[in-house]
Amino acid sequence: MNPCAVTTGFFLLGRCGRPSVTVCRCGRAVCAEHVDPQGLCPECATAQAYADPFHPGWARGYRRRYYEDSSGQYSDPLWYSRFDSYDRDQFDAGDGFDIGGDTGDDGGFDVGGDDGNDWVDS
Amino acid sequence: MFWRKTRAAIERFHPVHQGLVWQRTASATLPPAEWNALVGSLARHADTVKRRKWRLPDRTVTVLVPLLRVLCEDVAPDGAIGVTADLRGPRVPGKAGPSRKLPVRRPVRSITEWFAIDPWLAVRAELRDGSVLDLTVTDRVRYRRVHKVNPRGKHKTKTKTKTVQRITARRTLQPGQDVRRPDTPPPPWITVRVKSAKRTVVGATMKLGPAPAEVDQVQWILAVATEPFRWTPPAATVRRTA
Repeated sequence: MNPCAVTTGFFLLGRCGRPSVTVCRCGRAVCAEHVDPQGLCPECATAQAYADPFHPGWARGYRRRYYEDSSGQYSDPLWYSRFDSYDRDQFDAGDGFDIGGDTGDDGGFDVGGDDGNDWVDS
Repeated sequence: MFWRKTRAAIERFHPVHQGLVWQRTASATLPPAEWNALVGSLARHADTVKRRKWRLPDRTVTVLVPLLRVLCEDVAPDGAIGVTADLRGPRVPGKAGPSRKLPVRRPVRSITEWFAIDPWLAVRAELRDGSVLDLTVTDRVRYRRVHKVNPRGKHKTKTKTKTVQRITARRTLQPGQDVRRPDTPPPPWITVRVKSAKRTVVGATMKLGPAPAEVDQVQWILAVATEPFRWTPPAATVRRTA
């Protein structure tokens, strides 16, 4: 079973790591504690605008805004990139999990441009 | 007896919640789960209590609840967060210092000046990486009571206030925890002091004048609290939590 990939913490970032019970629409494995009633991870849930600090997920939704603001105040892009890279890492599990499935070399698209070979004269 | 049902409802709230209603103060050291229970109790307040006299202090919702939510994210389940909040405001007896008279010119008859020191928030959190974060917020309010007499002998008095706020954040690191000076200095309005000892202490202080609006308050507290965390490299952060 995949471990929960939700980012925890505010100043001290961490990874949950509990056994997951579902997969969010963004592709992350989510444990029972972090899953939303709609089956979403905290970030996808807070993207639906939880502005009320009484909501249990408020701090997780506010975290990205805080890092953006404080990085600007301190003129320290590294401070934001520290959070951002950590937050992106959860999608790079390194276990062969590929969002969108196996796309092959060209991903199913014409990478070489339209050469007209797939057109048939009527 | 009026408001009997409301009073009974308040007595069913969390004990710290009741203290905020009756005394407008809170002082407790509790684990994160208990603080979350308190926030859940506070969330029911507006629906239950309609009496204006018993409403929550403004800073409960704008500062205390968001700050608890943030700190609960970084404290282990068996850790503790200590909060001492005095939300009675700077006008209560005991917070005002001695007064003095200032020199005046006519038509001003007298100016009396005094200061009130209001340390309204002190927080101590044992973080999951073993460090300890201390936050304090103190308002210093200057009062000036001006007494005027116009040519017709009419007396007028007014009191003016000016509030300056001091926010401090201090992080006491674990012994042997790696410390690294950040690549960029903090903003000029933040003063940093680093004390190297067995347990390194990184402190940040900010003086704000005038004091920020209530809605911006928590952002300024978190802005100051940021600096001690910039001094530990990302490798020192915990990658896996309970």
